[in-house]
Amino acid sequence: MDPKQRNVLALALIAVLVGLAWWQFWPPDEQITQGLDIQGGLSVILTAQETSQTVVTDDVMDRAELIVRNRVDRLGASEASIQRQGSDSILVQLPGISNAEDALAALGTTGQLEIRSVEGVDETGTPIVGDVLMTGEYITDANLSTDPTTGQIEVNVSFNAEGTQLWAEITTARVGQQIAIVLDGTVQSAPVVQEPITGGQTRISGDFTPEEAQQLKTVLETGALPVTLEFSESRVVGPTLGQDSLRQGVLAVAIGLGLVMLYMALYYRAFGVLSWLSLVVFASLFLGLLAVLSGFGWFALSLPGIAGITLTVGLAADSSILMFERFKEEVRLGKTYRSAAKSGTRHAIGTSLDADLVTFVSALVLYTVAIGPVRGFALTLMMGVAIDLTVAILFTRSIIVMLAESVVPKVPGLFGMKGADSDA
Amino acid sequence: MRRHTIDFMGVRWWFLGFSALLMVVSLAAIGIRGLEFGIEFQGGTVVTFTEVSGVGVEEMRAAFEGQGVASPQVQSTEDGGFIVRTTESDPDGATAHYRGVVEQLGLPDDAGDVTTIGPGWGRNITNAALLALTLSIAAILLYTSLRFEYKMAGTAVVALLHDVILTLGIYALVGREVTPNTIAALLTIMGYSLYDTIVVFHRIRENSQRLVKQTFMSMANDSINQVLMRSINTSITSLIPPIAMLLLGGETLKDFAFALVIGLVSGVYSSVGVASPIYAMWKEREPKFQALKKRYARAS
Repeated sequence: MDPKQRNVLALALIAVLVGLAWWQFWPPDEQITQGLDIQGGLSVILTAQETSQTVVTDDVMDRAELIVRNRVDRLGASEASIQRQGSDSILVQLPGISNAEDALAALGTTGQLEIRSVEGVDETGTPIVGDVLMTGEYITDANLSTDPTTGQIEVNVSFNAEGTQLWAEITTARVGQQIAIVLDGTVQSAPVVQEPITGGQTRISGDFTPEEAQQLKTVLETGALPVTLEFSESRVVGPTLGQDSLRQGVLAVAIGLGLVMLYMALYYRAFGVLSWLSLVVFASLFLGLLAVLSGFGWFALSLPGIAGITLTVGLAADSSILMFERFKEEVRLGKTYRSAAKSGTRHAIGTSLDADLVTFVSALVLYTVAIGPVRGFALTLMMGVAIDLTVAILFTRSIIVMLAESVVPKVPGLFGMKGADSDA
Repeated sequence: MRRHTIDFMGVRWWFLGFSALLMVVSLAAIGIRGLEFGIEFQGGTVVTFTEVSGVGVEEMRAAFEGQGVASPQVQSTEDGGFIVRTTESDPDGATAHYRGVVEQLGLPDDAGDVTTIGPGWGRNITNAALLALTLSIAAILLYTSLRFEYKMAGTAVVALLHDVILTLGIYALVGREVTPNTIAALLTIMGYSLYDTIVVFHRIRENSQRLVKQTFMSMANDSINQVLMRSINTSITSLIPPIAMLLLGGETLKDFAFALVIGLVSGVYSSVGVASPIYAMWKEREPKFQALKKRYARAS
C-alpha cells in the first residue's frame, strides 16, 4: 500500500472511531456512570481482621464477601457494588442511599449463623423461622461430595463434641420436619431432617447446582470460622455536594481545554487549528471509551478520575507540539516539506512514545498498588496516554503529512513558517 | 531568522547551586516543620459542607462540641463551606454527629460529605504509597537504562527526586495537608519531570552520534536550545489544565492540582538546570569526550 493510501485509510479509521464514540457516549450524563463521590451515597471499605484463630486467606475473604453481599441484599440497595480491594478488604458502594446510619449499622454487625426451627411457610413459599436451636459456633467443618449412585452434590457438615450432642437432640426431636440454616437473619437453606443424627457427621442433599452447593458450604463455614470485619474507610456523600463537584470539575476541564486551544492557535497558527481537531478527536475517543467501559460496569467517573482526564488534555496537546516543532525544524534545516513531514513526525512520535510510556508506567504502578479512590486517577491517566498515542499516530501524523504535500508549500505563512521559508 | 543560543551550560554552577539551596531549604522544612498528613494516613473523620450560609466558624465548632466531639478543627472554604476534622474513627458515631449538627444548625441534609478512616487503615495506605513511589522509581530507572543508558537514567532520577523533594518541601512550608491524592500527583510529577528530561536527552543522544569539532558540553547546550521552544510550549499546555483545576475545581481537584502545578514547573526547570548539566559533566569524563574537550574547549 502506498503511503498516501495509508494516510487516507488511517483518517477513515479515525472518522469511523469518532462516529462510534459519539454514538456510544451521547448523552454523556446517561452513558457514563458516575462514581459515588459524584452521585452521592455510601462507600465503605471493610477489612477482615486477623485473629488468633483466623488467618485471612482467599477462602476467608470468600466468606467475608458472602456475608457482606447478604447484608447488602437485606438493605434492599439496588445498584450496589461489592469489590475486593487488596488482599484483605472489600469495597461496598451503595449509590443514592438515603439512610447512611441504618446501612452502616447493618454492615457493621458480626456475621451470625444459626440453625432455627421452621414454623410453616408464607405465601411465597419462604420458610417462617422460629426458635434458635443452635448457633454456628459448633460447626467445625463443611465440605462437598457427590453421591456415587444419584450423582447429586451433597454438603457435609461436621460438629464438635458438644455440637454432636446438641445436634443429636435436635434431629431426634424433629424427624420429618424442616429446619432452617440462617445467616444474618436470612434463610439460606431449609432441609428436612430424615433421621436422628447422633454421629455428628451430617449430609445435606438436594437438587443443588454446583454454585448453590458451594454457597451453602461457605455459609456453613462462616459458623466454623467467623470473620470479623471492621470499617477501614467510610464515606457518606450528599448528592448536592457531588453534583457541585462534578460541575466544578467539568468547568475546569472545559476551561483548561479552551485555553490550551487558544494558546495553540496563537502560537502555531493553522497547525494550532489542526491541533484543535486532534484534541476534539482525543476527547471524543476518550468519552467513547468511558461510555463503553461504563456499559460493562467496569468504570464509574469519580473526582480523581476527572483530575486524570484534565491532566491528559495537556498530554494530548504535547504530542501535537512535538510534531509541529520537529517538522518546522527539519524544514528550517533545508529538507523538503514532504520529507520533513515524514521524518519529523516519525521522530516526534518516538519521543512521545518514550514520554507517554513513562507516564503510563507510573500510572500502572499506582493503579496496581494503591487502595481507594486514587485508583480512578490512575485509570483515566492510563486511558488518556493510550488514546493520545492512537490519535498522534493515526490522526495528527497523517494530516500533517497530507498538508505538507498540498497546502503548506503554497501558504507557509499560514502555518507559522515564514521564517523557515526565508532561510531555505 | 537565526535563533539566539542561550548559554545554559555556562551558568550550570549557578543552576546546580540554586537547586542545592532549594534542596537544603526543602529538606529543612520537611525536617523542622514536618509534613501534615491527612486523616487517610492516621484515622479520623472529615466532614465537608458546601455553601452553608449564615453559619460562622465558631457556631460550627460549638455545634460539633455540642454533639460531644472533643476539639474539632473547623476551617472555612472559599466557596462558603466548611471542612471539619475530628478524631472520631467509628463511622456510626461520625454520621450521628453529622446528623446532629445538621439538625441543630438547620442545614439541608444532603449538602455534606462525611469521610471516616479507621485507625488501622492508615498503615495500609502509607505502605501502599511508599511501595508505589519505590516501584515507580525502580520502573523508571529500569526503563530509561534499557532505552537509553545508565548515566541518563541516573541523572533523570536525580532530577525527578529534586522535583518530588521540592514539592514536598513547599507542602511543609505552607502547611498543606498531604493526602493519598498528593501521593498520586507526586507519581505523576515523576512521569512529567522525566518527560521534559527525555525530550532533551533524546536530542543530546541524537546529536552525540555526529559529534565533531565541538565539546560534549557545548553540544549539550545546543541540544537544549534546539528543544527549548517545544519544552516551553509543552510545559505551558501541560500547566494550563492543572491551573484551571486549582482555580475552579473543588477540594479533591485542588488537592491534585496544587502538587501538579509545583511539580510541572519544577520539572521543566530541572530538565535544563539539573539533569542536563549533571549528565554532560558525567559524560565529559569519558575519554572520547575528554579528547574533544582538550581540542575544542577554547573554540566553543
